[in-house]
Amino acid sequence: MAGMKTATGDYIDSSWELRVFIGEEDPEAESLTLRVTGESHIGGVLLKIVEEIKRKQDWSDHAIWWEQKRQWLLQTHWTLDKYGILADARLFFGPQHRPVILRLPNRRALRLRASFSQPLFQAMVAICRLLSIRHPEEMSLLRAPEKEKKKKKEKEPEEEVYDLTKVVLVGGVAPASFRGMPAHFSDSAQTEACYHMLSRPQPPPDPLLLQRLPRPSSLLDKTQLHSRWLDSSRCLMQQGIKAGDTLWLRFKYYSFFDLDPKTDPVRLTQLYEQARWDLLLEEIDCTEEEMMVFAALQYHINKLSQSGEVDEPAGTDSGLDDLDLALSNLEVKLEGSAPTDMLDSLTTIPELKDHLRIFRHTLRPRKLTLKGYRQHWVVFKETTLSYYKSQDEAPGEPIQQLNLKGCEVVPDVNVSGQKFCIKLLVPSPEGMSEIYLRCQDEQQYARWMAGCRLASKGRTMADSSYSSEVQAILAFLSLQRTGGGGGGSGNHPQGPDASAEGLNPYGLVAPRFQRKFKAKQLTPRILEAHQNVAQLSLSEAQLRFIQAWQSLPDFGISYVVVRFKGSRKDEILGIANNRLIRIDLSVGDVVKTWRFSNMRQWNVNWDIRQVAIEFDEHINVAFSCVSASCRIVHEYIGGYIFLSTRERARGEELDEDLFLQLTGGHEAF
Amino acid sequence: MDVQAEVNLPLHKLFFLTYLPIDGPFGGKKEMGQLSPRTRLLLDCLFLDFFLFQMGESNEDIDQMFSNLLGEMDLLTQSLGVDILPPPDPKPPRAEFNYSVGFKDLNESLNALEDQDLDALMADLVADISEAEQRTIQAQKESPQKQPPSASLCVPSFSDTASLGYGANVAAPSQYDDDLPPPPADPMLDLPLPPPPPGPISQEEEEAQAKADKIKLALEKLKEAKVKKLVVKILMNDNSSKSLMVDERQLARDVLDNLFEKTHCDCNVDWCLYEIYPELQIERFFEDHENVVEILSDWTRDTENKLLFLEKEEKYAVFKNPQNFYLDNKGKKENKETNEKMNAKNKESLLEESFCGTSVIVPELEGALYLKEDGKKSWKRRYFLLRASGIYYVPKGKTKTSRDLACFIQFENVNIYYGIQCKMKYKAPTDYCFVLKHPQIQKESQYIKYLCCDDARALSQWVTGIRIAKYGKTLYDNYQRAMARAGLASRWTNLGTINAVPPAPPSTGVKTGTTQANGQLPQATQSMNTALGEDWRQLETTKDKKPGPGLGSHDPGAPRAQPLPKSSLPPPPPPVRRSSDVGGGSPGTPPKAKGAAARFPAPPDDFLPPPPPPPPPLQDDELPPPPPDFNDAPPDFVPPPPPSFAEDLPPPPPPPPALAPESVRTPPVVVKRPPPPPKRQENPGPPGGGGGEQDFMSDLMKALQKKRGNVS
Repeated sequence: MAGMKTATGDYIDSSWELRVFIGEEDPEAESLTLRVTGESHIGGVLLKIVEEIKRKQDWSDHAIWWEQKRQWLLQTHWTLDKYGILADARLFFGPQHRPVILRLPNRRALRLRASFSQPLFQAMVAICRLLSIRHPEEMSLLRAPEKEKKKKKEKEPEEEVYDLTKVVLVGGVAPASFRGMPAHFSDSAQTEACYHMLSRPQPPPDPLLLQRLPRPSSLLDKTQLHSRWLDSSRCLMQQGIKAGDTLWLRFKYYSFFDLDPKTDPVRLTQLYEQARWDLLLEEIDCTEEEMMVFAALQYHINKLSQSGEVDEPAGTDSGLDDLDLALSNLEVKLEGSAPTDMLDSLTTIPELKDHLRIFRHTLRPRKLTLKGYRQHWVVFKETTLSYYKSQDEAPGEPIQQLNLKGCEVVPDVNVSGQKFCIKLLVPSPEGMSEIYLRCQDEQQYARWMAGCRLASKGRTMADSSYSSEVQAILAFLSLQRTGGGGGGSGNHPQGPDASAEGLNPYGLVAPRFQRKFKAKQLTPRILEAHQNVAQLSLSEAQLRFIQAWQSLPDFGISYVVVRFKGSRKDEILGIANNRLIRIDLSVGDVVKTWRFSNMRQWNVNWDIRQVAIEFDEHINVAFSCVSASCRIVHEYIGGYIFLSTRERARGEELDEDLFLQLTGGHEAF
Repeated sequence: MDVQAEVNLPLHKLFFLTYLPIDGPFGGKKEMGQLSPRTRLLLDCLFLDFFLFQMGESNEDIDQMFSNLLGEMDLLTQSLGVDILPPPDPKPPRAEFNYSVGFKDLNESLNALEDQDLDALMADLVADISEAEQRTIQAQKESPQKQPPSASLCVPSFSDTASLGYGANVAAPSQYDDDLPPPPADPMLDLPLPPPPPGPISQEEEEAQAKADKIKLALEKLKEAKVKKLVVKILMNDNSSKSLMVDERQLARDVLDNLFEKTHCDCNVDWCLYEIYPELQIERFFEDHENVVEILSDWTRDTENKLLFLEKEEKYAVFKNPQNFYLDNKGKKENKETNEKMNAKNKESLLEESFCGTSVIVPELEGALYLKEDGKKSWKRRYFLLRASGIYYVPKGKTKTSRDLACFIQFENVNIYYGIQCKMKYKAPTDYCFVLKHPQIQKESQYIKYLCCDDARALSQWVTGIRIAKYGKTLYDNYQRAMARAGLASRWTNLGTINAVPPAPPSTGVKTGTTQANGQLPQATQSMNTALGEDWRQLETTKDKKPGPGLGSHDPGAPRAQPLPKSSLPPPPPPVRRSSDVGGGSPGTPPKAKGAAARFPAPPDDFLPPPPPPPPPLQDDELPPPPPDFNDAPPDFVPPPPPSFAEDLPPPPPPPPALAPESVRTPPVVVKRPPPPPKRQENPGPPGGGGGEQDFMSDLMKALQKKRGNVS
């Protein structure tokens, strides 16, 4: 490592000139020339640079990036020789933390400063701390997909980018909570808004947008996403990310540890959002029935978050619900003046009596015509429905009496057609009897419907939830009027300006259901599913959504195109949290499953891009990766193994070394 | 099995009715009154010293009811093997008697019961009663007295169906205190924690709080009052049967625990309650968390359905060998081999993975099954898939991707059953059938779905898979509880002390009471019987009023020492109550009586066959007052109570003097066994059975004796 001399021989020591560019990798950046020797320490070089620049500024975050070697010179006590830096090295003196735009699971954009010099794993830990998301090991970043060439310069609507670049986190401890949010969010109105964006579910997307967004049409398409994961053991800079780039933040490993609504509002919400988008964009398939439940949950979650009922603590403790409500009612009333009055209201169980048209069919109703309906005097008391020929006969024996406890209540409503029917499937020892109640108007319908629903759960109309149930039904009816059905726009979804209340059901289901059903067909089905979830609180509903998502057979499988050793065609490798799945590319059938618990070891041959895995009983599997680098497969496997070692007892401590050891590998950079 | 009777606590209702008219001064509000004093009165009523009541205008009715009641008691005692006088003539039922319907059913069912079952039932009853009693005490303790008098209250009725929305219930408590003469401060005597000084505390909030507490308590009591019970006949695997009382709150797990106690089986996790529908030829085991009474109430009155107690290894097969359900790759033979070798640790982690995550993993299951077509005996083969949300099938010409699937059934409203001999009955292709139906459907119906698998393995996978989808984590929790229970049992066996008081199994709250009572049964009944024997003997010797035909033959032999009968014969506190209720006697008395009652179910130390007599000291100050009151009464009422009452007590005939000596004698005993009230408050139920029964039974006998005396 000989020094260099100038032509005149002025320098007789071994010193030489080192050129350093100031700023980020930019060919036109200003540069400085320093005289150094091979023995100069990086720290000394840094000091010299700062002196040369003669600008007062906090340089503490700055470090030197060696462009050719794609490497940060972070060891300040190392000499230039040790790094092997010569005069031709292109060095950039720039900040280690640079702004990037993160596309969150909820599809919102957020600008923040991320470390460009630490391994991504550590950078993620910092990002998640900033966003107050626990368990950063489950998340990672993806490159944004290549922008499709814009055909007709579509004007992208200006979207709001939340900014957290100015927020500085201090100390290594978990951020304290202040005013219901982590303290660092409460600095300004902007950051506060940002926190709300993070911790509250977003309203349903515009159905038109939903239709426009790319959706995977085959298993092959689903592999695309997974080729874009960034490498956890290298830093962003090394992976060619530049300041201001857009990256996607996603839950990468489908193994959600210790999900707790109380401590994880942001995590829970983002997970919910990711699940929701997965479903809406058909990244994961579900059946019609399941979709309706998902839609109902979304509707419910949206309603709650819009109405601002985010304050979880205010939610009632479901355990003592009835009793407490009754008590507080009573208490209120006891304070009142007229005891008889209050006692009356307490002792009388509300009942409904009205003329309704009833259609009864013990067998299956074939065609329902109006003719089938007969006017009856119907009395609904407690959970029992009795009907009489006329009001005069009411004290006598009813024609029939049905206990609705345990029955199935199905709405059969067409608002524009002014049809308000309630279909009851009442179980009896002989089988189910079907009965249809036809109401005259919305009001009547809502009251009876609410009563039936409560009765089916064994509760009476004295139940505290009765009036809210009535309101919910009315709200849904009005929604149906404003929403897809009534407007006569047929199957064409309405524009994005769907009012906050009038909800377009198309925003809640995957596009293929938009094609399959008209909005007015969807709405009642969603409503029907909604009645089972209407009592959930916001976080409960989110959790339920996530659970239902997790229960889907295809949940949590990341797909990669591979070619198995000895096979002539490409196949799909599915990677889940507990197993590897070999899937036929064309048909989508599962060919074989290997569980991680049976795995002995796995090796990667970086040269021929082949992963070899050995399972118990000497089962060996080898494949080369086609759609993604074998790094990604390797990291997925190692990551899941790492996640399975987490234990509740250890809390949130992360064994970073183990993670990097399991996922890092020895790839030559 | 048959649901023999619905003992919807009509017993208590009956008591109310009988009691109310007596409540002369409050006649206007009597219906309200009956609600809350129920529990208070229970004990009195059961002691059956009702003869001493001051009767109002409705003497006759009450007389009749009591006679009926006595009839029941006679029956009870008869089947206990104690010979008594012939049952009294049944009285013609009257209008109000619809309330006693349940009771009559009980009567019928009791006839069918075997002796030991009867013991158990009695134990249950007694446990209940004392439990209820304690609650009342507590309630009273906490209730401040001041209550706005609320008049003109109409509580609908007591018919079972009027399962009062709580609206109705709430009204009761406020009435409660008005009607009852003196519930006030006295409970403090028994209870160590003095209640917040009633009334005068200036803070309005406190009052409100107290009010709320009281109402809460009252509501709880009301709930308690409505507890429905069934006498259930359960067929054992040796073709014998057992009857036991199952209360509304008991889960299958609790009933199993009861049965374990009674049968001394090995308590392993495979034991289950098994329902069989002979008519539909379907059967299934109850899941441990299911509510037994709820299930049984779906059965029709004339049902042929049976309930069995047997071992089914299918019940928890999935937890013993999860790999058979979770790792079974269809058609892959090599996998099977590895499965069988799965070691315990792997099983555990597999279970952990499947059941302990954020959501339970339903085993992947799909394949062709035969589906019986509605109303026909033809079967169609379809490709079905199991998902967490239900069973789906692949419609013709479609693929089995999620988007093409059609929903066949969801699990919310159906239970899964095994179909038995469907091959014969419905021409099923194989005999491996499972059936899905709404629990309430009891007859053949198109709403029952029959599916048929190719082999037994598929059947067990489908049934288990569906159960996992339907019940989720609950299933695993059940299993762990069953394991814990089995573990306990085996430990006891090792120690050779199965009969020892079992530490209450981790059952949920209220249920422990009954469970425990049953748990102590063997001993309790025994001592109960001997106590009875003693009673009889004593009665004979002290007063040969009317030697019953069977009396001589009946085991007089129990060679118990003198103290025994005494201890088992606590001078009944009721008279005291009577005095207070009827005559508005001293406020101090009733609670004391209650204290005594509550003391029966004291901690396990009353294991010793004869629990020392708690009551004597009470009598000391309490008994004196009543006699004067009652002396007025006898003329009105047929049985002359004071004399007979006195005769029950061992030595001297005249009431007041008799009591004095005894009380002198007893104090040390009382000291020896100080009631630990705080404990009792915390767990009202558990140890209840043991101590209370004897007293109760002896009182019962006394009452009968009295009754007999009246007849003669």
